Amino acid sequence: MTVKVAFPHMGNACIPLRALVEALGAEAVIPARPNVETLKRGVLHAPESVCLPFKATLGDCLDALERGADVLAMVCGMWACRFGNYGLIQHMILRDLGYRFHSLLVGRENAGEVVETMRRLLGPGFLQRVPKALALFRAKAAAVDEVERWTRWARPREECAGGADALAARFLKELDEASTVARVREVRRFFREEARGLPLDGKANPLRIRLVGELYVLLEPSLNHDLVRKLGSVYRVEVHPVLSTYRWLLGPLWLDPRIQLSGYLARRRIRPYLPYVLGGEEHMTLSGILTARRDGFHGVIHAFPLTCMPENICRTVIPGILVGGRLPYLDLCFDEHTSAAGLETRLEAFLDLVASSRMSRQ
Amino acid sequence: MFYRYYPFLRTFLEGCGHVVESSPPTDLQILEYGTGCCVDDVCVAVKVFLGHVRFLEGRVDALLIPRPVTVERRGYDTFTCPKLIAAPDMIRFFPHRPPLLLEWVLDLKRAPWWWGCLRLAARLRVPPTRARVAYLAARREQAFYESLLGRGYLPQDALRMSERKERGVAPELVRSDVLPGPGNGGAGKDVVTVAVIGHPYLLSDSLVNKNLFRWLREAGASILPCSMLKAKDLEAEMRRLPDLSWSYERELLAASSFFSRLPNVDGLLYLTSFGCGPDSMVVEMVRREVVSAGGKAFLEVVLDEHSAESGVRTRAEAFVDLLRWRKARRRENTGRTPLPERDSIGPPICRRMGDGRERKKSLPGSYALDDGGEEESCVSGGAAR
Repeated sequence: MTVKVAFPHMGNACIPLRALVEALGAEAVIPARPNVETLKRGVLHAPESVCLPFKATLGDCLDALERGADVLAMVCGMWACRFGNYGLIQHMILRDLGYRFHSLLVGRENAGEVVETMRRLLGPGFLQRVPKALALFRAKAAAVDEVERWTRWARPREECAGGADALAARFLKELDEASTVARVREVRRFFREEARGLPLDGKANPLRIRLVGELYVLLEPSLNHDLVRKLGSVYRVEVHPVLSTYRWLLGPLWLDPRIQLSGYLARRRIRPYLPYVLGGEEHMTLSGILTARRDGFHGVIHAFPLTCMPENICRTVIPGILVGGRLPYLDLCFDEHTSAAGLETRLEAFLDLVASSRMSRQ
Repeated sequence: MFYRYYPFLRTFLEGCGHVVESSPPTDLQILEYGTGCCVDDVCVAVKVFLGHVRFLEGRVDALLIPRPVTVERRGYDTFTCPKLIAAPDMIRFFPHRPPLLLEWVLDLKRAPWWWGCLRLAARLRVPPTRARVAYLAARREQAFYESLLGRGYLPQDALRMSERKERGVAPELVRSDVLPGPGNGGAGKDVVTVAVIGHPYLLSDSLVNKNLFRWLREAGASILPCSMLKAKDLEAEMRRLPDLSWSYERELLAASSFFSRLPNVDGLLYLTSFGCGPDSMVVEMVRREVVSAGGKAFLEVVLDEHSAESGVRTRAEAFVDLLRWRKARRRENTGRTPLPERDSIGPPICRRMGDGRERKKSLPGSYALDDGGEEESCVSGGAAR
């Protein structure tokens, strides 16, 4: 009998993660996308003042357990950010609720333990499957990243709204079904061909907005009320998040040296502002703001969950960075109570401001 | 502000030939300053901190801010709270601050304790030889302060005493707020013992914790603050607990575990501030793992800059009442004492308390208490198994 492994959602991370799990010889259980119901249950059982990602992922875990998962995988580590202890505490809560499952807490500190647990769960021969699984994982992550990047670029330029999203959804589904690296490459090729065929408005000159902030809130569309898609399709703005699923998945595994390099450069860039590591994505946030003007962005949106520690420290530092820079900046705080209407009002007002700032500059 | 290292830093700086001016205990104006000029969802400690910085604006020439990054060496990476790590960065762009910023870095993963002092001395243009003398004196002072804490004094009292010692008054003479230690079994027999766990800035700031200690004492509880525990005891406790990357929270977790196994402690009171990142996770661990296993009552008090004093007072009194009732009920269950009436819980019954240690063992521990209903969500019932 194969074990059923589940992991919480984060953007499209489930596509490469599912491939990884299945290539290792287990069955992947994908919980429902975070929605009002799962979030509500997560909030019910989570500590009161913990940050939003904890609540959302706890809801995911509950959903996965009800779908029959018997192994819950989660990243853990020794960081100053709370994220490192998510798995530990979530599994504690779930066990208290009466669920029975194996925890697979993947971290740098307990690598040996992880291998041991996996051997126990997957049978002795799993180490031979690891290189192939990682290759597929990497290929899929890169493909997903390409689709996402193209969609963000195409949304404000497409002539018929929704075309790019439909195309992306179709190819993401195909990617999810691909089972070999060769097939992933093929899907990518088809995707490029079809993407070229999509009617685009060549004269469009959309505003360019950089998105910085906390990883999960940036990348999980159901938590940020589909911020990225809305900005692209509804407000016709080109959006560039500084973080991506690809970056988050491959960075810790050292599968792509470019990620390490950019992280290192970001740390070096923010040294005058924050000389010590805080454990979150504070370096990407601050360096994203520092270089926004240079990279040709017209404004910055900073999204973070309520009580997020690293991002709150960034917020105390950001006014000092922005002094005299004339860079429009909006911070959006997300919680389970955030409403779509409030968000839209803010976005509209902000985008008006960005547009007028660009006009006055030209 | 930082009740952990103040004696050390003061002695060190005085040894280096500078005058040390500290801000007074937090008052309403300082708190208002702080809340007025910081981002909205940080914890109350940061607000207080910014308030103090603003208070000192114009009063001092330089401001020293400790930056504890790593305060212990372990096999894995440990940190303090990110807000402490970034405390000097937070006020770098703060408009209301003294002109010169000094920082004292404590990063034991990279450099020993004295390295930060040497850097600080270099910044102040103090020769290393003089800094060394000052450093040694400061270590002595800190050891004295910690010994005071170990005897059960609250950090603010211990600070006052360690300052008086310099003026030639014997520490024994200032006994205004002396708390009974664990050794004397909670002083009188008619009191319940409450262990109070929380960060030093919450324990010792009576404005922030809304005079919690006074209310507890008036309600008839004897208090064991977590600051009294020795590092050695905590270390032994920590070995039984899961690893945590936050050193201070790890200490609190160990302290909760220590107190919950101490037989003469009746209840645990955990002080936390709203929006405190690490605490929000650690309280969960304390509640689920430590307290429920030990069968003690547990109250979590969340503090913010505008929780009214009466709220804390009501909770403290209700908690102490609850503990009394539990204690009486426990005796009743063992069948050695007659059933107490609620109003008459006092000396006659409590005289038969005897040795708490033995009583604990003789308890089957099979009763269930539903004590969560007395208050709102703040109280989590000590689920005794």
